[in-house]
Amino acid sequence: MLKSLATKRVGRSVAVLAVAGMAALGLVSCSSSSAPSSSSATSGTVNWWGWTPELATAKSYIAAFNKVYPKIKVNYKQVTIADWEAALRPALASSSGPDVFDVQPGAYVTEFGSFAEDLTPVIKKSLGADWKSKVSPIGISGLSEKGKLTALSVGSTYAGTLWINKNLFDKYNLTPPTTLAQWVSDCKTFASNGVGCFVQGASQEGFNQDTLQSIADSVEPGLWTKMSTGAAKWTDPGMVKTLTIWKELFTDNIMQPGAIGYAQYPDANNDFLTGKYAMVMMGTWYMQYATTTGMTAAISAAGVAGAKPFPILPIAFPDVAKAGHAGYHMYGDSDYGLAVASKSKNKSAAETFVSWLTTSKAGQQVVGNALDDIPALNGVAPDFNTIAMPSQSVQQGPVESLIKTVGPVSEARESLLSSGVQTAILAASTSVASGQATPAAAAATLQAAAVAAGETFK
Amino acid sequence: MFETRSRWATIVLQIVVTLLVLPYLFPLIVMVQGSLAGAGWGNYVAVFNVPGFGQFFLNSAIIAVSVIALVYVVTMLAAFGFSKLHIRAREVYFWMLLACLTMPEVVLLAPLFATDTTLGLYDTYWAVILPLAALQVPFGVLLTRNFINGIPNELFEAARVDGANSIRGFWYLVIPLTRPIAAAIVIFTLIGAWNDYLMPLVFLQDQSLQTITLIPQFFIGQFSDDQTKVLASAVLTAIPEVVAYLALQRLFERGLSAGAIK
Amino acid sequence: MTGASLTGEKLGRTKPLRSTGGGGTTRRRRLSQPPGLPWILPALILSVGLLYYCIGYTGVISTWNWDGISPNPVSVGFNNYVQIFQDPVFWDAIEHTVIFFVVTFVVQTFLGLMFAVLLHSKVKLAVVYKIIIFVPVVLAPAIMAPVFRQLFAPDGQFNWVLAHIGLGFLQQPWIGQTSTSLAVVMSITVWEFTGVTFILYFAAMGQIDQSILEAARIDGAGNFRTLISIIWPGVRGTTVALGVLSAIGALKTFDVPWLVTSQGGPVYSTEFLGTYIYRITIPLDRVGYGAALSIILLVVALVMAIIINVRGRERDGVTE
Repeated sequence: MLKSLATKRVGRSVAVLAVAGMAALGLVSCSSSSAPSSSSATSGTVNWWGWTPELATAKSYIAAFNKVYPKIKVNYKQVTIADWEAALRPALASSSGPDVFDVQPGAYVTEFGSFAEDLTPVIKKSLGADWKSKVSPIGISGLSEKGKLTALSVGSTYAGTLWINKNLFDKYNLTPPTTLAQWVSDCKTFASNGVGCFVQGASQEGFNQDTLQSIADSVEPGLWTKMSTGAAKWTDPGMVKTLTIWKELFTDNIMQPGAIGYAQYPDANNDFLTGKYAMVMMGTWYMQYATTTGMTAAISAAGVAGAKPFPILPIAFPDVAKAGHAGYHMYGDSDYGLAVASKSKNKSAAETFVSWLTTSKAGQQVVGNALDDIPALNGVAPDFNTIAMPSQSVQQGPVESLIKTVGPVSEARESLLSSGVQTAILAASTSVASGQATPAAAAATLQAAAVAAGETFK
Repeated sequence: MFETRSRWATIVLQIVVTLLVLPYLFPLIVMVQGSLAGAGWGNYVAVFNVPGFGQFFLNSAIIAVSVIALVYVVTMLAAFGFSKLHIRAREVYFWMLLACLTMPEVVLLAPLFATDTTLGLYDTYWAVILPLAALQVPFGVLLTRNFINGIPNELFEAARVDGANSIRGFWYLVIPLTRPIAAAIVIFTLIGAWNDYLMPLVFLQDQSLQTITLIPQFFIGQFSDDQTKVLASAVLTAIPEVVAYLALQRLFERGLSAGAIK
Repeated sequence: MTGASLTGEKLGRTKPLRSTGGGGTTRRRRLSQPPGLPWILPALILSVGLLYYCIGYTGVISTWNWDGISPNPVSVGFNNYVQIFQDPVFWDAIEHTVIFFVVTFVVQTFLGLMFAVLLHSKVKLAVVYKIIIFVPVVLAPAIMAPVFRQLFAPDGQFNWVLAHIGLGFLQQPWIGQTSTSLAVVMSITVWEFTGVTFILYFAAMGQIDQSILEAARIDGAGNFRTLISIIWPGVRGTTVALGVLSAIGALKTFDVPWLVTSQGGPVYSTEFLGTYIYRITIPLDRVGYGAALSIILLVVALVMAIIINVRGRERDGVTE
């Protein structure tokens, strides 16, 4: 049955392999000559790759874009962040990669920046010579390398908050924690009622980093940035203190059992949204789950049918160090920027799309309304008339004030850290949590990793 | 193998097997149950509604069938050669082939990428088919050589006396007689090709070439991870393999019994 | 006769009609057999050609300090290898691999053998049992990973079962602690691979001469005694082959520790060579270092395969 087909194939494959063998030694990586343009600024096909936004959100962006530019077809391909580098690196190195791709501030800018066009002329054309004053500064710094603007920020995300399940706090008559002592006692009350207190996906560097940075901001505001830029060493007493408090989150039963095996998504997220835990460490991107539609879909995704959405609220990370620095300490980055590939054959159409989504009022309004990113363009805010929440009166105020709080924030979240340091942060935080390293020893491994990654210290 | 002399012993035996097999069944139940949690059958509907679902399915089928065909032909030829024909330093070649079993997939990525782009194979089915076949052939030859060893030489000698050359011997003796072991090769190759994730991820960029193993990507976003739909796609991905195994199960077992690795 | 050993001809049983693989018939066959090289050539070109080419290429990369895309890799000689031997994570990975291999091999062998023996006995619905045991082989580890993450979660089904069979005190976050994560990885692997062990033992047992079994029974040997002194030696060849396959599998282990226990975590407690190579090569873009690790993996795999095979056969020879 398979035979005739198979025989043909084997003949061809042998021929192909013979060529492969001969070509093997003379391999040269393909040159990066710029491709000829086959599209104009108002027509063509643009292939866009990203790990974010989600397919449905991307479709809504593209639909809004096509109202203005009906002749540009945008295809969105979603790749999970876990597979992003494995998929994108070869694609960019080949000549059949995407025209537009997501870039995250930090390590990815260094890694993929060389495949991207400098977008300074694009943003200048769209916003004028004083473009820098019209967009969030955090989006420019994190996405630039050596004076080249590798991508235009779509929006930003900020961390430094916990989100709480309002119903659970009301039910047990508890006030949201503002200190470590109160956090511990809240957790005791929850535990005695069989409810989980705080849940974190502590197997992932990004979220452990957030918690550590928040603790560090409570110990000594600005220390984290200093360590990230080499102005202070990772062995600083403040960092040792930070890791000591981190350890206390585990020994004081604030962190859920098995936290270092949890992923933030789906594990911690599902547990929080299905009401098993009262608090979770999430940032501004979590606004999308404050909405009725966002939360209903998420609860169903967590495997619970027909569950009712409940109100969730952001609170400042508790002042765990009690060193006199209570209140909000937010830090953030551009969530992602869009880059135009140098090898793209549809550069002008790609630039039109990127410029529309990141610098036009209409494009940024669509981004803002999705409530995952805070728009990069100044003056654009989500339109709460179109957004329903489980308890509008309780939730809308805190969410709007959160958006206001992050406006002037300049403390970076991940963009200053190399992938080597991020890996070391995961190892240090989990080994402290599991008792395999003391805070001081773990701080020393961070310092060593930072030196190995090329960070220079004063 | 075990003799049971009383009815009680027979019942105890049955209970022991059942208890031992339960842990194997349990994760399968969890999988199906999980795929129906939350939105129920709506999870399956969502998977079917992934843009291009049919195309992904077809791509996986094209790749799997091509790999199976390629592996089948190459394996049969080689196994016959190793088993019944004269090859100087035969065992050296055989061990060179078996050593390929130790190759982890990730080792292949960098070299294959460089070669594929040079030859223009990158982003074509071939970029996935060839390495997958190359990885499956050694195990196939190992199984089939054993199987063909079990076919008496006298059959081939008789054919030769009748004036049949090796090609006719292969065609009229090896091909029909090796059907059971071919079933085993089809199953093992199908498992390897259909389930592969890394090669399609890295070597197939065009969305119209994506395979079914990449479907869960659609349900894992930056700020969400819908495990119910991931499990629904897992179930759908598994069905063709389970069906193929069930269809070939008897033949498969017969093939392994006669050519088992010993 | 180490050469043909994996194909293994010699067993402690009467031989059926077969004549290949050494012994007195070799010379006669060589005279009359037509040449076979053209027949094995396609397989050699496809597998040996493609894969050895990749090994060679990897060998070259392993002497570079390279991020995988830069056009000018820096040659560092054998520096990567020197570094590997001083790398604590590498030695962790080796340790896990050894533990993993010993445990999974012993457990799989035991279970596979038990299933094979039991299903060769008078059991009703044997075909259903066979299918249940083999279906896990068919399913990709990547497909099953989310299932096992749920199963072993703190409020997952495994803890639920423990609570319902009176073992509630054993409940714990299996994936999320360094003391149990490796056990999780091993148990999943056993679940996935027992089908192969079973089916090969089942096949091998089918060839054990029934008259020997009957003779033993007449001599008064019980089930246990038969298993130890007839069945177990009778399938030794299969055991050795499975040993080789398991060793290679252990060295290549990637999917389960990567996808189930948080990328080789927590705190590297399920780091294997496979996960380490992937982490180094893809997220950390140290392609040169990853290549050197790959070469070491290949060498270790080959050495282990040869040792197990040679030792296994030697003992085989002694007992015969």
